[in-house]
Amino acid sequence: MRFLKSLVRGNKSYKSGEQAKEVLEHCVSTNLSNNLMTIKHLFTEMPDLVIRNFTISQTSEQAALVYIDGLIDKVSINEHILHPLLHEYRSNQTSSHPLVAIGSTRSTCSWLEIEDALFLGYSALFINGRSECILCDSQGWPQRALEEPQTESTLKGAHQGFIETAKQNIALIRRYIPNRELKIKELKVGKRGKTQISILYLADVVNPEVLREMINRINDIRVDAIINTGEIEELIEDNSFSIFPQLLVTERPDAVASHILQGRIALVVDASPGVLIGPMTFTSFFQTVDDYSTRWIVASTLRLLRFLGLFIAIFLPSLYIAVITFHYEVIPLQLLLTLGQSRAIVPFPPIIEALMMEIFLEMLREAGLRLPAPVGQAVGIVGGIVIGQAAVQAGLVSNIMVIVVSMTAIASFIIPNYDMSTSIRLLRFPMMVLAALFGMVGIVVGTMTVVGHLLSLESLKTPYGTPIGPVNFADHKDTFIRFPMWKLDRRPYSAKPKQLTRFNWDKDSGE
Amino acid sequence: MSKYSSENITLMQYIFIISGTQVGIGVLTLPGTLAEKAGTDGWLSIIIGWLFSVLVSIVIIQIMKKHPQCTIFDISRKYLGKWLGRAVSLSWVLYSFFAVVTLILTAIFIIQVWILPETNSSSLLLIFIVPIYIITKGGLKVIGRFSEFVFFATMWMPILLTIPVQNGHLLNLLPVIKEGWWPILSAVQATFLSFLGFELAFVLYPFLENKKSAIKGIFIANSITLLVYIHITIISYVYFSPDEIKQYIWATLNLIKPIQLPFLERFEIIFLSFYLFVISDTIIPYLFTAVLGVNHITGIKGYRIPLILFIVMLMLITNILPITYEQVMQLGEWWGYIGLILAFLFPIIFWIYTGLYDRLLRRPKS
Repeated sequence: MRFLKSLVRGNKSYKSGEQAKEVLEHCVSTNLSNNLMTIKHLFTEMPDLVIRNFTISQTSEQAALVYIDGLIDKVSINEHILHPLLHEYRSNQTSSHPLVAIGSTRSTCSWLEIEDALFLGYSALFINGRSECILCDSQGWPQRALEEPQTESTLKGAHQGFIETAKQNIALIRRYIPNRELKIKELKVGKRGKTQISILYLADVVNPEVLREMINRINDIRVDAIINTGEIEELIEDNSFSIFPQLLVTERPDAVASHILQGRIALVVDASPGVLIGPMTFTSFFQTVDDYSTRWIVASTLRLLRFLGLFIAIFLPSLYIAVITFHYEVIPLQLLLTLGQSRAIVPFPPIIEALMMEIFLEMLREAGLRLPAPVGQAVGIVGGIVIGQAAVQAGLVSNIMVIVVSMTAIASFIIPNYDMSTSIRLLRFPMMVLAALFGMVGIVVGTMTVVGHLLSLESLKTPYGTPIGPVNFADHKDTFIRFPMWKLDRRPYSAKPKQLTRFNWDKDSGE
Repeated sequence: MSKYSSENITLMQYIFIISGTQVGIGVLTLPGTLAEKAGTDGWLSIIIGWLFSVLVSIVIIQIMKKHPQCTIFDISRKYLGKWLGRAVSLSWVLYSFFAVVTLILTAIFIIQVWILPETNSSSLLLIFIVPIYIITKGGLKVIGRFSEFVFFATMWMPILLTIPVQNGHLLNLLPVIKEGWWPILSAVQATFLSFLGFELAFVLYPFLENKKSAIKGIFIANSITLLVYIHITIISYVYFSPDEIKQYIWATLNLIKPIQLPFLERFEIIFLSFYLFVISDTIIPYLFTAVLGVNHITGIKGYRIPLILFIVMLMLITNILPITYEQVMQLGEWWGYIGLILAFLFPIIFWIYTGLYDRLLRRPKS
């Protein structure tokens, strides 16, 4: 048994997690070799742990530098920590602090802190005779360059996206809001992962109750680790059984900055490029950063087009089914003849025809998504020809149905947010079934259900349906239509900000 | 802080809940019913009906004002004692539930006549009850939002209903008061049914954020209803000849039937389907009132249990009662009578009673 344990946990390791925990609660000892012993016991079977023993040239003290290879920046370790300590000598050195050419250092005596810091890419400097350890910020790990996020490309906006390092991401946001009211609250989530989560908000704008709600919910999370922002989203959203996303995940710094300025809260999760934003409303998922950089008339038209797309994506197939199955008297004769001709050879009822095509379309979309680009193109061609031509020629599907399905697909792609567009696409299936069973009545009842659900949803305890229900006329300046920039002098009420006026607020005494 | 303050509604929501409750099936039937009794002067009866309902509404607010944190269920217990108060509460629950039954059965009946003649009523009820359940479960907050949504989402309906005017004759309305005042007055009672809904102020008042504007709000709500009814009645009278209109039960739907677009005919099918929004906006506040009453009488907390109870009862009722024209009309008539007693007479009597009670019994204490 003991052998097995030592095999799994490593030879020199503490026998159990409890023993290690006990050590972690102790302080750093003054004896260097004792400290190094503790480290070796704590971190067994970890070949990437580097311990470098040396003598400090200034004071000729014995010292050791400990870090985890791969999480640190080799240049700063070699040039800025080891080099000055080994070679430099200054006569006028008076402080007891060793010579380290690193911006951020701190000393600690807690093993717990040292352990966490090591895993975050800090290097720990132990010096013989001192009961403390100096942690140097030498972080540096492989990361990709800034690039435009694939799911949220823009025409005129900035072409930068978030990467997997929280510090960088926060810096990107700060570039847009150089204001000291932009506060950052840091929390750790996950028993094992200890994922760093930074909450960004404008202290004089954000609603304190919403902020408290957000922090409470994050503190209540009980998980092993957070791998991606999407996991946090599901853990803190108001209603997990809803089909609609209640919080926004974006990879665009400019989008995050504009949401923070509107009084919302942003959540930067370390090791994930997605930034979570809340509280959100249903209509804000239909806005893009581009809306504010194109002419307002054009932007408004585009927004209306998106909402039209929303309706088409949900209702077009079901309306077609309802009309063909139940209410053909609604269609004028001329159009009815055309429809009839197209449907004459099809052996299935419209619902089967529609379900067949829609399911196939969804498969095609999903298949194209995960495949490498050249293969994805092939899938598109095969799918397009099979769906578009062969099925019609074979008499399995009517021409009109192909048109309906394609229009639905196009309409669903116009919705700018990926999560929302997926939800909307899913909604049309129950609608189609309802339409096949109850015609127009089924569609209207389905709509009522969706609307009722939407209106009862809340995002961080703020109503999700604003400004549609509860109605807020001021917010309609920037919902379906975007008014000219100078008209948008108030932050949207939906996030319940403390400070409503966007500019001139330093002149208002009350705000 | 009262137990209702967690579900505050804004003034706008209060207005739209009340007017949403008032505007319901009446829009479809009122022109025909009034034409039968008062000819083309029927629209005058609506104004008189409006006057009555505004007066009673103000009386209701006067009662509620004395106890701003109480619904009618709390107040009746305060003034009438435990058992009599409970009886009054129960009668309100039964009344509200009766309204729900009547409205749902009528809605199903209209759907079956106009849109889906072959679909059976239980399955229609089954799907219709889903959104109603979801919205009522959310409490008054969600009901208020839904009422707002319905109000703005159905704005196109009056515009659509105005289209037929171009083929109408204004002369149909003249002469005004052609047969004297008596037929007009006799038709007023028929308009009472269409104005029912203001009595929900008995329940809504404690939820209202800004209680000072309660009277203003209920006045606006009644006036919106008045405008809707006057609009549809006058248009039907202008479009149809005075004799023709008497033949139609659902005059409004006949009004829409001839409207054509290049890609759409038989507009009444689409109109009626969307009209379900308006009808459910009438049903939900009544259902909520019934649920709140049950909560109060039995002490059950939360809306879910009473709601499920009512839905099961609804299912049983739709299975037992045959949904025929006579049945639906009969229910509507009964509702009119009960409404007359509970919504029009009860507030006045209760107001006098509370006034006397406060004067005679409270004064020595203070």
